Amino acid sequence: MDAITTKHKLSNEEIFTILKSFITEVIGEEFVEDMDISRESSFARDLEMDSIEIVSFSEKVKSHFGENIDFTGWLSSMDLDQLINLKLDDIINYIETCQSSK
Amino acid sequence: MPVIQVKNKSVHIQELNKGARETIVLVHGMFSNLSVYYFNIAPVLAQSFHVVMYDMKSHGMSERCEYGYDLLSMTDDLRDLLDALHLKSVHLAGYSYGGLVAMKMAMRYPSRVKKLAVIEAPDPSDNETLSIIDIYSKEFLVDYINNYTDTTRMRMGKRQLDKNHRMYEYLFYETSIKEDMHNERFFFSDDTIGNIAQDTLLIYGKSSNCLPSGRKLYHTVPRSKMTLIEGDHNLPIQQPLETANKLKDFFIGWQVKFKQINHKLWQALRLSYHP
Repeated sequence: MDAITTKHKLSNEEIFTILKSFITEVIGEEFVEDMDISRESSFARDLEMDSIEIVSFSEKVKSHFGENIDFTGWLSSMDLDQLINLKLDDIINYIETCQSSK
Repeated sequence: MPVIQVKNKSVHIQELNKGARETIVLVHGMFSNLSVYYFNIAPVLAQSFHVVMYDMKSHGMSERCEYGYDLLSMTDDLRDLLDALHLKSVHLAGYSYGGLVAMKMAMRYPSRVKKLAVIEAPDPSDNETLSIIDIYSKEFLVDYINNYTDTTRMRMGKRQLDKNHRMYEYLFYETSIKEDMHNERFFFSDDTIGNIAQDTLLIYGKSSNCLPSGRKLYHTVPRSKMTLIEGDHNLPIQQPLETANKLKDFFIGWQVKFKQINHKLWQALRLSYHP
């Protein structure tokens, strides 16, 4: 998938919607139906994503937001516990910060 | 999602820093996947190298396969992957059983491996190692039951339990993995290990059960050096940054560092020269 360079800054809500769609693609609609995906959802605990699913998710984030953010670099600064406790809101805030620093 | 076709099989790969001059290929262990490198180790190596990670057959997001988990087949897979990516010669690092794959690659295709790093490779003849797949299987099943019945502790969710259970069930009961791994039990006795000509770095955990295996390799592989890190067999998870930095320093090597220092000195001299 080619990187999509967004011409305008996405709102917090728009980023949330995009990330939710990525989660659905990674873990499958049949599982998402039973989940309440919120900004406070943690990847490992609440969404039950394993490491290879988080890889898949982060590749989608990288493909979508392209050069605007160094998502892998940001993740690499975290230890295992931080990755496990990573919440959707953390990623939304990170993407928003990257957008505003452009 | 970068899934490529290699000899008519789907292989999930991830690449970082594609434009770099030299490539490091990272091989994960059995019952794992490329995520063991993806989050912490690969980004550090990608500061200086093109990094390629791939999921072995039936692991991660690569295609399932009933046969070919022995070291010959696994190195055929790796050679085919290098061909598909047009990589003639690479640095190679492997963890656990992936370490054995990396060594076998250096033995079979020496011209395609520049430097070799082996992380926590077990001696397949150890009884403990031989029983690992059985232990893993039983442990998994016990965990499966415990986590289902014990609601008082934090547990793996049902979806993950089912997913893992399906993977183990498939590998243990529908593929040749057990037999293939068992057939590699004499690998450390293979005389050609002593012919590995590459500079080799052996990384082991100070409290790892595999440490004696590392010491055996240190005495067998001619151009090997050994480095120990706090931790056990799960070193890349426990100490990812230290593991990454050891790998990076090794693959960069003192010659390159010397060149970098030389270059900086030369630039400084040019800047300070005012005729």
